[in-house]
Order: sequence, then structure tokens, then C-alpha cells
Amino acid sequence: MSQLSTTAKRAGWRFASSLPALFGVLVFTFLLMRVLPGDPAVFFASGPSAGKEEIEMIRQQMGLDKPVPEQLVRYLGDIGSGNLGRSLTTGQPVLADLKSRLPASLELTFMALLIALLTAIPLGVAAALRQGSWIDHVVRFICALGVCVPTFVSGLLLIYAFYYLLGIAPDPTGRVDIFTSQPPLVTGFLLIDFAVAGDWEGWRAAASQLVLPAFTMALFVVAPLARITRAAMLASLGSDFVRTARSLGLPPRKVIVTYALRNALLPVLTIAGIVFSTMLGANVLVEKVFSWPGVASYALDALLASDYAPVQGFVLLMASIFVVVNLTVDVLYGIADPRVSVE
Amino acid sequence: MTIVRTACLAVALLASTALPALTQTRAETLRHVTGAAINTLDPNIPGSTREAFGLSLLTYDRLLSFGKKQLDGKWVFDLDNFKPELAESYTVSPDGLKITFKLRQDAKFHDGTPVTADDVKWSLDRAVTANVLGKGQLLTGSLTSADQFKVVDAHTFEVTLPKPDKLALANLAVVYPVIFNSKLAKSKATAEDPWALAWLKENTAGSGAYIIESFKPGETTILRRNPDWNRGSAEKPASFKRIITQTIPEAATRANLVEKGDADIVIDLQATDAADLEKKGKLKVISTPQYNSITFVSFNNQTPPFDKLEVRKAIAYALPYDDMFKAALFGRGAPLYGANWTEGKAPTGAVFPIPQPLKTDLVEAKKLLTAAGFPEGFSTTFSFNVGQAGTAEPMAALLKESLAKIGIKVEIQKLPDAQMSTLINEKKVPFFTEGIVAWLPSMDYFYRNFYIGPIRWNYSSLDDAKITEWAQAARFEPDMAKYAALGKDLNTRHFELMPQIPLWQPSQDAVMASSIDGYVYQFHRQIDFRDLSRK
Repeated sequence: MSQLSTTAKRAGWRFASSLPALFGVLVFTFLLMRVLPGDPAVFFASGPSAGKEEIEMIRQQMGLDKPVPEQLVRYLGDIGSGNLGRSLTTGQPVLADLKSRLPASLELTFMALLIALLTAIPLGVAAALRQGSWIDHVVRFICALGVCVPTFVSGLLLIYAFYYLLGIAPDPTGRVDIFTSQPPLVTGFLLIDFAVAGDWEGWRAAASQLVLPAFTMALFVVAPLARITRAAMLASLGSDFVRTARSLGLPPRKVIVTYALRNALLPVLTIAGIVFSTMLGANVLVEKVFSWPGVASYALDALLASDYAPVQGFVLLMASIFVVVNLTVDVLYGIADPRVSVE
Repeated sequence: MTIVRTACLAVALLASTALPALTQTRAETLRHVTGAAINTLDPNIPGSTREAFGLSLLTYDRLLSFGKKQLDGKWVFDLDNFKPELAESYTVSPDGLKITFKLRQDAKFHDGTPVTADDVKWSLDRAVTANVLGKGQLLTGSLTSADQFKVVDAHTFEVTLPKPDKLALANLAVVYPVIFNSKLAKSKATAEDPWALAWLKENTAGSGAYIIESFKPGETTILRRNPDWNRGSAEKPASFKRIITQTIPEAATRANLVEKGDADIVIDLQATDAADLEKKGKLKVISTPQYNSITFVSFNNQTPPFDKLEVRKAIAYALPYDDMFKAALFGRGAPLYGANWTEGKAPTGAVFPIPQPLKTDLVEAKKLLTAAGFPEGFSTTFSFNVGQAGTAEPMAALLKESLAKIGIKVEIQKLPDAQMSTLINEKKVPFFTEGIVAWLPSMDYFYRNFYIGPIRWNYSSLDDAKITEWAQAARFEPDMAKYAALGKDLNTRHFELMPQIPLWQPSQDAVMASSIDGYVYQFHRQIDFRDLSRK
């Protein structure tokens, strides 16, 4: 009980202390977007007969005709009331866009992280156990390969092989085959929504669309995870308590999994947290290649068009997610190693 | 051991989920893939994308649409030949000042309300009075005020013009003057928004051939056929029952999809992919030079060193036209160089652009550069936007290499699209490449919109009294022979001043399943799905 309340207190404190940072991010992005060369009004006033009036019209519509400090105050006021503005690129409110696209990104990232962890931890452990052997070298080779090949290359390669040549993967056009009807919206996560609706045909379709992009993303992050697992495992295998456990004649499985691995998990968790946040925003290339309707490609399109509201909304979202992920990692620390939460 | 188990797991997961794509019989569905997105359902909203224009012509009807003609064996839209759409017929008074439309008696909006002259009046009033895109376009056809539109009776509608304007009818066939269901739209209007801009942006109130079934901006749009629509050529509804438009950002993926037969039609492939698919011969590739567009190399004629005519001419003679055409477009388009003009006079004036008497001549270029006072050359930047990088990048590299031979050092600048538009609008780019498109590609329209005044589209910032005067005179010239004479002077003057160098008209490569029939290149460079059918 006391452990739970300490964790909760820690989490609460962490959350409160991240609020100023969030505010800073908000103001900074706002100013940065205005400093960038590129006037969204001119860009969007690109009809064949667009003149000065049209540019002015769009400027007014976006509130850009007002002085910057006033714009900032209005923007903060809007955010306070839950209005993130409207995207010119899609013509929709940014909040609605992010709401419909975030689950797509999250589903993909979770799946990729799951695949990456399931691959990386056993690989890292195996490499640490047989340090210097051929297994270690193979793992090193796989990691190097994963990091070296940019995601859009591996993505295009996978599409070429599994869709174009072999024809066993579905066409890489988003989250679900276009001829499959969507499940009723519950969480936005298609795998969950299809399961809730009991539509297993649809579930299969969604899962098969997810496989290639998730593998592409996983491939890229296996390396840091496997390397950190290996390093942490080496440290904990060489430590006194493992030697003691071994000398007591405990079964190797118990020594490795219960004692060594559990102690080695802390750094892996930290890295997994960072990897997760990075993947969510940085995997714009995977989203583009697989036409995945996620938040990262949305933000990139908006950035190219100097469309302020969506970029600001995206950065705010990413900052918030970062805070939440950090919190989660903190809580997980306590579970992985009870000593951490006793501060 | 663990590795093996993980690998097995991975393979099992892949095999269990990755089943072949659903092969439905979908002959009555057309699946279209594109790299761009639709951002509004009303084409009049400032900021509308080209794809939004394309969509609105499916969901709405106009009074008239453009007919089609053959150009080098390919069907293209015809500016001078109209097809009635909501109008059953029209008459132009002998003095050319009054156009009377007879509306179809049987046309109905999607909600069943009949289309009347009141709807036409409301829609055209909206296009010229509200804060919409139509305003700027329609004034090029002398349509500027609501007073010009009169309801005679429920099915007769009259347009009066201050001067006989050749482009008045054509302007009624572009995307802005689509006809809205005025009763429905008015019921959604508010005091601040009397023209229901906000509501129509997200909803449709039309009578068009297709009804929107689902619309996810930036992802998919699904259209269902309107069975009561009879404005097609055969008085029948459109051929396809369903149209799916999907946004696929990656061009290589779009090529894969159409090659595999999963997509039926695509018009925005990379030139290499289109050439490749054409060679394989499995698909139908219709490659139409976009005869209403021009890609050019432009200079700011007001800033040194490009304010000197000799400098502009020197560059015009130093460009490696053939190499650029091959590297950028793989030869897919119509070149605008390499012509022979007798005595430096334009051979024709009825049309613009026409091929220019230019070819690579480095000796001449060097001579001109020396005459301009730059025997040693100079340094400058050459800019293009990221969106065009596919064609502009190889072109810029060749241009840089060739200009270096006459002493001009070029630094290549690749700018984000919004930044490039901003700089062009502020007239701050000295030397760059751009493409222009005119919906109504008549000779005077090009000159009036792209060579006059301090506007954004006057890329070269040209300010020439003669061009201004002749172009304005040509606009209202009823006699076609005199019009062509003016055009000849304009074309000759354009070459003499060399405000910018026309390079080519890129092709639009429409790649489609071999069973698709009826494709026509349209003014808005989108597919008119109402024309298409499956054999």
C-alpha cells in the first residue's frame, strides 16, 4: 500500500513538474512557426486566379492579420478551451484530425515496439550469455544491418518482395483493405475495435495490413534495444549476486531470468521509453511508404505547407505523450526494481 | 534456441496474417489512387486543392461543361465547344451582350428538389459576391456583379455582359460556378455567414453525377452513383457505380498498385514509372502534353543582372534544352524550343505558347554575356520548390553545368513549397523555374494573367507597355484575324524581350487498366470520372 502511494506521489509530482516544460514547448513552437520563412496564406492562395485579395482573405481566416503577441494570447486561450485550430491542408479541425490519426500511429508503434522487444531481448540475452561466440557476432550483424538500412528502403523492399513479387501481403494502402468495412468506433485501435465487434474477417484484414509496416519499424529499433540488453546483461551476469546464486547451485534458468535479467531490465525500460516516443514522431517515412494515416505524416505535410495549427498541435501532442511515457517508465521502474521507488 | 524460436514466431505471425488481397469482383467500382488530398467539398473555399476541384465537378453540375476534341490522337477538353449540363440550350444575342439559358426541366438535386433558375441565380451571385475563389476567376469573363444575373422564369436564366467577352461562357464552365441547392444552403446560412461557406465546406448540396458516401480528408473519398443523373452524353447515369479515391503518398507504391491491378487509374506517377509501365505494355498509358501549361525558367526582370536583356538572352542560348528535357521528363511532353522562325517573327498568333527559335549555342551565349558587360560571368542562385524536385533537380544540375561554361556560377536552392511561394509573391527570387497552368488557355488570357502587373503570377515581373496594351486589346477583339495579328505581335515581342524562357509542356500520364475507356484530359488536370467506363 505504502509502495503504491509513493509511486502515485512520484507520478503526480513528475506530472506537475512537467507542466512548465509543456508550456515552454507551446510558446516556442508558436514563435518558431512564425519565424520560419514561408507564408501559409500565399501557399494556399494558389488557385489559378489567386490575387492579393485571396491572400488577405486566407490571412484573415487564419488570424494572421493580427500582431503576433495578440495571436499568441488568442492561441493560448483557444488551447485552454480545447480548440487547436483548423488545418488548411485537410480542412478539418486539428483536434479531430489528431484524434482520428493518433490511434493509427499508436497501434503501429505499439505493435512495432512489441515485435522489437520480443526480438531484441532474447537476442541481447543470447549474445551476453555467449559473449564473443558466433551467436554474439550474428546478433551484432543483425543489429548493424537494422540500423544501416533506412526505414523507407526496408519498407519499399518489403513491399516489393511481399506485395509485388510474392503477392502474399495486401496492398500497402493504409490500415485496412479498402473493400473491408470499418468496425464501429470504440477505441480507434482497429485490432481492438474489430475484436469488440466480433468481426474476425476484418480483424485479419487489419492485422495483415499491420505486419509489414510494424516489421519495418521494428527492424530499425531492434539494434539499440538488443545492444542495451546485452550490455546490461553482461554487467549483471558479472555481478556478485549472480556468482552467489550460481555457487548456491540454483538452476541456470532461475539465475538468468529471475536474477540477472530482472536486474538488467532497468536500462532496457528507459531505452524502450525513449524509442517509443521517437518512433511515434520520427517514423514519418514508414507512414508515407505504407500510406499509413498517422500523425507524423500529417505533421510533415503541414510543415511543408507552413500550416501553423497542425504543426503546433502535433508538437503539443508529442510533448504530452513524452510526459506520459516518462511517467509510465517511472512507474514500471518501481515494478521492475522495488528499490527505486523507496526514495 | 531462443533465436530460432523467435524467428519461427515471426514467420508464423507473418504467414497467418498476410493473406492474399481480397479479390472481389469489382467491375463496377473504380479505384483511383493519388498522392494529393481533398481538403474541402466546396471548390470555392480559399485554399482548395486541385483534387477538391476534381471532386466538386462530380458532385455538382454546372450550366455548361467543355466539349472534347482530339489533339494528336488524344482526347482533350475543348475551350470553344460547350456541352449543356444543367442548361438544355443557350442563345447568345447578336450584339454578344446577353446570354439566355434554358434549364432542363427534369434535373433534380440529390435531395429530390427540382433545379430552378433561382438556384442558378443564388449560386452565381455567391460566386461573384461572397469571399470565395470564384470572384477572381469570373472577372476574367466580365462576370463581376449579381446585377448581371436575372431569373426570367423557373427554367429561363439570363446573363448580361458589359462588353462582348469571348471568355464569358468558358468561365461558366470552370469549377467555381457550380450550381448549389439554394433552399438547402440558405437554411444552413447564418447572419455572419450568409453564403453558408462553413456548411458547404463540409457538406454537399448538388445535383451531380455522384453522391459522397464517405469523406476522410487525406485518406479516402468514396462516391456513390446518382442513379437519377442524366446530364452525360448518352442521357444515362455515369457508368461506374462506385468511385474510390485513395491518397497514397509514395509514387512508387502507386505504380505498384496500378501495375498489380489493385488500382484502376492514376495520373500522378513519376515520369520514369510511367515510361516503364508503358514499355511493359500491360496497361493503357495515355500521355497527353498539358497544352494549357508551361514549364519555364524565369528571371526577375527588375533586378540586376537579369534586368539586362543580353543576360537573359545569353542564358536562353546557354541552356542544354535536349538534355534537360530527357533528364527531367524522359522526353514525356511537348518541347517549346528548337523552332525555326523566319526573320525573327512568330509564325502564328492564335495560340500561346508556341515553340521558340532557341537551341543551345554557347558561342552566341558568351558573346551576349560579354555585350552585357559580364565577360567574366557572375554568380547567382537558381531556385525551385521541393514539390517539383523530381523534375527540377536533374534540370537544375544540367543548367548549372552548362552555365558554368560561359562563366555564370549557379548555386542551386531547393526551397519548401510555402517558402518558395512567399518569396515569389514578394518578388525576391532572382532566377528560378516554375510551372503555370491556365484553365482557359487562350492567347490573351496567358498574356493578361502572367505578364502584366505587380501580381504573383507575373513571375518575370515584366512591365512592358506594348504587351499590356496588345493583350488588353486582344481580349475584346471580336475579329479572329485581327486577334491572331495581335497575337503574332505579342509572341514576337515576348521572344524579343525574353522575360522568361518557356521550356516545355509536360505530359499528364494517365495510367489505367486496359479495360478503362473514355479518358479525356481536362482543364483542371483531374479525371472527370463521369466520362469513364469499363469495357
